[in-house]
Amino acid sequence: MRSTEVKEADTGDALPICSLRVGTGLYGIETRQIREVLGTTAPRRVPLAPQYIAGVLPYRGEVLTTVCFRALLGLECWAGSHCVLVFDDEENEERFGLMVDGVAGVIAVQRNALEANPGGLDARSQELFDGAYKLPSGLMVRLDPQRLRPSRLAESGLFGSESASHGRLKQERQGEKK
Amino acid sequence: MVVRQRPDKEEVEDLTKEFLAESQEGLERMEICLTQLEKKPDDEELVAEIFRAVHTIKGTTGFLGFGRLEKLAHAGESLLGALRDRRLAVSTELISGLLELMDGLRGILQTIEATGTEGERTSDNDSALIARLMELRDRGSAAKAAPASQNRASFDKLGPGASSSSGHVAQRPPQSSGHDAVLSALPAAAPGVAMAAAPSMQDKTLRIDVDVLNRMMNLVGDLVLTRNQILRSTPGAENFPELARRLDSVTAELRESVMLARMQPVGYLFRKFPRLVRDLAATCGRQVRIEFEGQETGLDKSLLEAVRDPLTHAVRNAVDHGIEPPQERIETGKPVEGVVRMRAYHQSGSVVIEVIDDGAGISTGRVLAKAIEHGLVTPEQAEAMTQREALQLIFVSGFSTAKQVTNVSGRGVGLDVVRTNVEKVGGSVELESQLGSGTTLRMRVPLTLAIVPALVVRSAGESFALPQNSLVELVYVPRHEAQQAVERMGTTELYRLRESLLPLVWLDRLLGLEHSADAETHDFYIAVVESEGRRFGLVVDDLKAPEEIVVKPLSAELREIGVFSGATVLGNGTLALILDVAATGARAGVRPVAEDGTVVNAKPAVDETARIDLENSMVIYETGEHKSSQGGDGGRMAMPLSAVERIESVPLSEIEYAGGRAVLQYRGELLPLEDDGNVLRALAEAEATASAGDARKDGVTATVLICLRPEANGARRVGMVVRRVLDVSAGRLLAADAAASEEQLAMVKNRVTAIHRGFAQQAGLPQPSILKEVA
Repeated sequence: MRSTEVKEADTGDALPICSLRVGTGLYGIETRQIREVLGTTAPRRVPLAPQYIAGVLPYRGEVLTTVCFRALLGLECWAGSHCVLVFDDEENEERFGLMVDGVAGVIAVQRNALEANPGGLDARSQELFDGAYKLPSGLMVRLDPQRLRPSRLAESGLFGSESASHGRLKQERQGEKK
Repeated sequence: MVVRQRPDKEEVEDLTKEFLAESQEGLERMEICLTQLEKKPDDEELVAEIFRAVHTIKGTTGFLGFGRLEKLAHAGESLLGALRDRRLAVSTELISGLLELMDGLRGILQTIEATGTEGERTSDNDSALIARLMELRDRGSAAKAAPASQNRASFDKLGPGASSSSGHVAQRPPQSSGHDAVLSALPAAAPGVAMAAAPSMQDKTLRIDVDVLNRMMNLVGDLVLTRNQILRSTPGAENFPELARRLDSVTAELRESVMLARMQPVGYLFRKFPRLVRDLAATCGRQVRIEFEGQETGLDKSLLEAVRDPLTHAVRNAVDHGIEPPQERIETGKPVEGVVRMRAYHQSGSVVIEVIDDGAGISTGRVLAKAIEHGLVTPEQAEAMTQREALQLIFVSGFSTAKQVTNVSGRGVGLDVVRTNVEKVGGSVELESQLGSGTTLRMRVPLTLAIVPALVVRSAGESFALPQNSLVELVYVPRHEAQQAVERMGTTELYRLRESLLPLVWLDRLLGLEHSADAETHDFYIAVVESEGRRFGLVVDDLKAPEEIVVKPLSAELREIGVFSGATVLGNGTLALILDVAATGARAGVRPVAEDGTVVNAKPAVDETARIDLENSMVIYETGEHKSSQGGDGGRMAMPLSAVERIESVPLSEIEYAGGRAVLQYRGELLPLEDDGNVLRALAEAEATASAGDARKDGVTATVLICLRPEANGARRVGMVVRRVLDVSAGRLLAADAAASEEQLAMVKNRVTAIHRGFAQQAGLPQPSILKEVA
């Protein structure tokens, strides 16, 4: 799959992108932004946490807060196989994980193949997505890890309690509310 | 090009960072020196030290391009220069001016730290301050030159006359001449602000001895080597147990050395208090001296920050409520100057910090009257309370005995906040008071926060850690009783625990966890917990083994939930969330039961007996086989537990003789051994006979008490050879009867026992170190 594109990567104008599968869609994150890809380690759920938090993971002596991308998209959070990507944010010293269905492989794309978010996107998608690459096989939505930081998601307020209507914590959370 | 540009910028940033840390340290030293200078105006060393601090700041700011800071530092330097050259005399006003300079410098440093630039304040505070500093300098010089001039007169009026009440800019007496215009331009709240805002750069940086770092690096090297070997080995391999053992010991050592590196002397915390007390005393019209003891006592950095505010509260209280006004002190025959003592020491795995004042003390009668008035206790309950129990009422929220609300303290918040904060880090607070002679506030905090003993509980298939310090007891409710055990009042579920009703909180329901079966149809456990006055039963499915857990912080979004104080990795590698008991109770709607009185007081009462035991405990031992010259009872002797550092079993072969005296190499020092009962000789004989028939070597060991003997110039460590240690028990010193004997006697375990000579005066004092092991 990557044989042809890797050659292009040498030209200097190409960008290696790690492609991810979430639900039926294809997403991509620049490989240099990814610190590590963890295998199928299940995060430990945190009761009462916001819906988009998949849970916590032990990572290098720290407790890594892991965001569930499925929940951000409004899908059921847990669906069989999954994979956790680890990101570093050196400025804010915030390290976090992102849970996706799986990693598809590295694709090199031309920098200029990126198309900015179109105008018609809803607020949540506008917040999450960072444009899309037009691949021959279809669109690969580009993600910016900085936009997926738990603290930023919390600030945006777009993914708060109302997104709880999708997940399996729904009933319990409603029972919990005062 | 871009690559080259970057390091330059980073370099400047690093320099700035370093400069900030250094300057703040310098300012802190300056603060101490300034308050000392007021007491010892002729100390040139102090002036030189202050001068150096300001000079360093000025020098570096010019280099880094902070013009505003440089200007101010320059003004300060020139004033200090005059002081150093003795063109100026130390006066209260001068000290106040210098303290303002310090606040000004600190303010700019904080701005730099926050924003990266020194900022331009709209109100031109700097020039007002600089003008004032210049005026101080010029006036001082003029006064020196022409002592009889008008200037001198006004200077005198300002200096000694104002000494008790000025010093604090905002509180300056109105008669103090024509600088009012200049002064009122200064921010009135400056000293207060400077104190409240802790220098954050210093909170983040830590100075560590290179030796400690080297040791850590060596240990890490060891760890890597062990790991390599383990990776190459298999669990079945012959050397695997040995590797596992080595890993264990390296880990333990590494942990210890890291903990050691995090330890900071408590003195670091004490530094700001001379200034605080000085300002407060001036505001409240008191004369107060502050004294320190045990500044070198080490405490974990994070805990140091945690007790900073409670300690400030306590000192404010001591000055404002504790120490009486000078007039009152004279009337009661006390020295005019009150003393606030801050004392820190280690005691059985925790650090104790005391704030002791020699003020009026607390009237239990007034406390009780107030408590009844506020409905905290009923008159009947008050009647039955011991003095100690009554004192603990002060910690109940909303309690204040101050006759008058002052702006320093006495707003009804204070001591309850102190208690809450200290309890938050797993510590405790207690109060002792003697009417007329003073009050002692004692805080006890654990040595470290990072590792806490906890009980792992299971609920709905998930593990949670429950800190032991909030756990009171555990109740098992078997399946057939489950239905009847839970009783209801309205929506609240209760459990009848002995005589009282305990509100129940189902952990799984509270956290919204899925549970397979109805909780009441199977057996369950009730963990009776208590924290911040909330006492309730937490219902869980199962209990796991208690574990020493390593606390890991959660990210901010998860901390916000409030119920969890952290997470930890359990022995089996899974993560468990640590429950914040107080927050769990609050979330479940359990109200603090402080109103009850009995619940609040139950715990301190237990603590009290434990504490008294520790402080008055005696180690009882036999000195020798024969009735020794000083032993009253077959060689049975006692020594205050506080004097004993350790009890060691030493192989006889390790004891050496120098000049006919027995010595022991102990932790890198040569310890003289005292052997009053000739135990060593008896042991040597026993060994000789034993080794003749038996091949066993090193079999004979001598029991040595490593103790600190108080001497004229501090304590000296000696080893006391004893035949065997009998017991540790509470004891009471008997009044010395000079006619009967020179020996100091004590009543221990209902028997009169002689105290080892030279140790009697130590009885009853807190022990200086942890008793590690009782052989």
